[in-house]
Amino acid sequence: MPRPKHYDIVIIGGGVQGLSLAYNLALRETGKIAVFDKSYIGSGASGRNGEMIRSAFGSEEWIRLFDTSLRLWETLSAELDFNVMFTRCGYLVLASTPEDLAACRTNCKRQNAMGLKTRMLNAGEVAELIPSLNPQATVGGVFQKEGGVARHDAVVWAYARAARRLGVEIFPYTEIVAVNVDTAKITGVRTIRENVLTGIVVNAAGAFAGQVAEMAGVKLLLDVYRLEMIVTEPLKPFLQVALSSPHFLAYMHQTARGEFAGGAEPQNLSPYLGLKNTRHAVQDMARKFGSLFPGLRGAKLMRQWAGIVAKSPDRGPLLGAVDGLEGFFLNAGWGGYGFMGSPAGGRLMAELITDGQVPDALYPFNPDRFATGQAIVEPTIIGAAEDKG
Amino acid sequence: MSKKMVCFCQDLTDADIVRAIKEGYDHLETLKRFTGAFMGPCQGKMCAANVVKLYAETTGHPVEDLRIPTMRPPVEPISLGSLAPEKGGDDDA
Ligand SMILES: Cc1cc2nc3c(=O)[nH]c(=O)nc-3n(C[C@H](O)[C@H](O)[C@H](O)COP(=O)(O)OP(=O)(O)OC[C@H]3O[C@@H](n4cnc5c(N)ncnc54)[C@H](O)[C@@H]3O)c2cc1C
Ligand code: FES
Repeated sequence: MPRPKHYDIVIIGGGVQGLSLAYNLALRETGKIAVFDKSYIGSGASGRNGEMIRSAFGSEEWIRLFDTSLRLWETLSAELDFNVMFTRCGYLVLASTPEDLAACRTNCKRQNAMGLKTRMLNAGEVAELIPSLNPQATVGGVFQKEGGVARHDAVVWAYARAARRLGVEIFPYTEIVAVNVDTAKITGVRTIRENVLTGIVVNAAGAFAGQVAEMAGVKLLLDVYRLEMIVTEPLKPFLQVALSSPHFLAYMHQTARGEFAGGAEPQNLSPYLGLKNTRHAVQDMARKFGSLFPGLRGAKLMRQWAGIVAKSPDRGPLLGAVDGLEGFFLNAGWGGYGFMGSPAGGRLMAELITDGQVPDALYPFNPDRFATGQAIVEPTIIGAAEDKG
Repeated sequence: MSKKMVCFCQDLTDADIVRAIKEGYDHLETLKRFTGAFMGPCQGKMCAANVVKLYAETTGHPVEDLRIPTMRPPVEPISLGSLAPEKGGDDDA
């Protein structure tokens, strides 16, 4: 029998979070690192998302975390030596009712107080920014010029390539089926093929983070839900910014190829968790996008897909060590925001794991916060079915 | 190698496909995402056979073992408007 492989750190999940973390750990020369994914890298939500990026949230905790990320996005292509197609096209949160507008105003104040250069737009300014938008659909909004979009697959590949260059070993098609624990300490993992020794496991398994935690005997407060998207045929440029509408629970942008790409959530989420689209959701999207952009009604639908993500009780990610199980870390529960959060997620988690100190921006997202009564209140996130890009 | 067009919508030659496979996009799903093959307006109807054959030759995977990346429904393109026929305008969600 050959001796089992040994790694200093094993990351479960080759999505954008796991790969960003692997790269950032390798930058800090933390020893031998392996990433395992049960399918191809980026096969989870990381290759299926709306690609939208902003830091204009409503709570200090979210703004600090996501603004750290936004600043990293600006230089990411150069840093990773791979064009991730980050475009600072601007990100508008649309207000459709006076209540929406009041919320935008409160959030904008907080954002400005924290140094973000967001600003309120009135209906006329929104019409100027997006002439194709149905004027009846808006009363204004809050605009973040520095926000934008990037290409999801390119980000996954960029992190994977940079990580490999630094010596990280990435194993696609290698599911983890057990996490080995001995007296409250991580000792290794079992893949579909073999046992692997390690003292540190990071759970970055996206929608499956709850299952992976259970392998280690840890119960996480995570709910799994699905999000759907559609893409149209290429169209003439008509939407230059990334746009989200809390009123319609929708988010959208036009890609460099001219395709309109958007997702929305129906009011009643079905409990189905497969990756096939549901007629209900597709009709809901068609109706919402057609009413925001009347010009879209004639556009042909080209592709549609779904992805699944996990969310925590306060919808913020679970980032940090698990109390009571030495060597077990979480980078999970990113809901509808884990793509934009990936540069900071990986950077800060690498700091936490190697220095043993919790970076300020991460502390509020510690996995124990629900037990200690410190759940985060993020006002741009409301209701049950609202996590949007 | 010769420059033969294999995916017309996305202007991809056989050399483009082989290069992508050699660069490590060596699963049909990642190959699709990297090159854009199967993702043009015809959604692969014109190129799937070409690309899969070339992929099989380049990687040595027998064609029979390959699953062509999901044809994302709908098979025939339909307009957004016809999917939401109830009404248009400023209806509520
Ligand atoms: C339709 C949709 C739209 C979205 N829009 C946006 C957006 O506009 N902006 C934004 O920031 N976010 C958006 N998101 C959310 C974002 O995609 C996710 O938060 C993010 O991709 C999470 O990354 P991850 O690496 O944590 O998870 P994933 O990408 O899901 O990766 C987890 C990986 O773990 C692997 N895995 C699971 N279990 C095991 C196991 N036992 N062994 C080995 N591997 C395993 C899976 O195969 C998977 O590849 C959207 C999501 C969806 C679905
Ligand atoms: S010919 Fe390849 S997508 Fe149409």
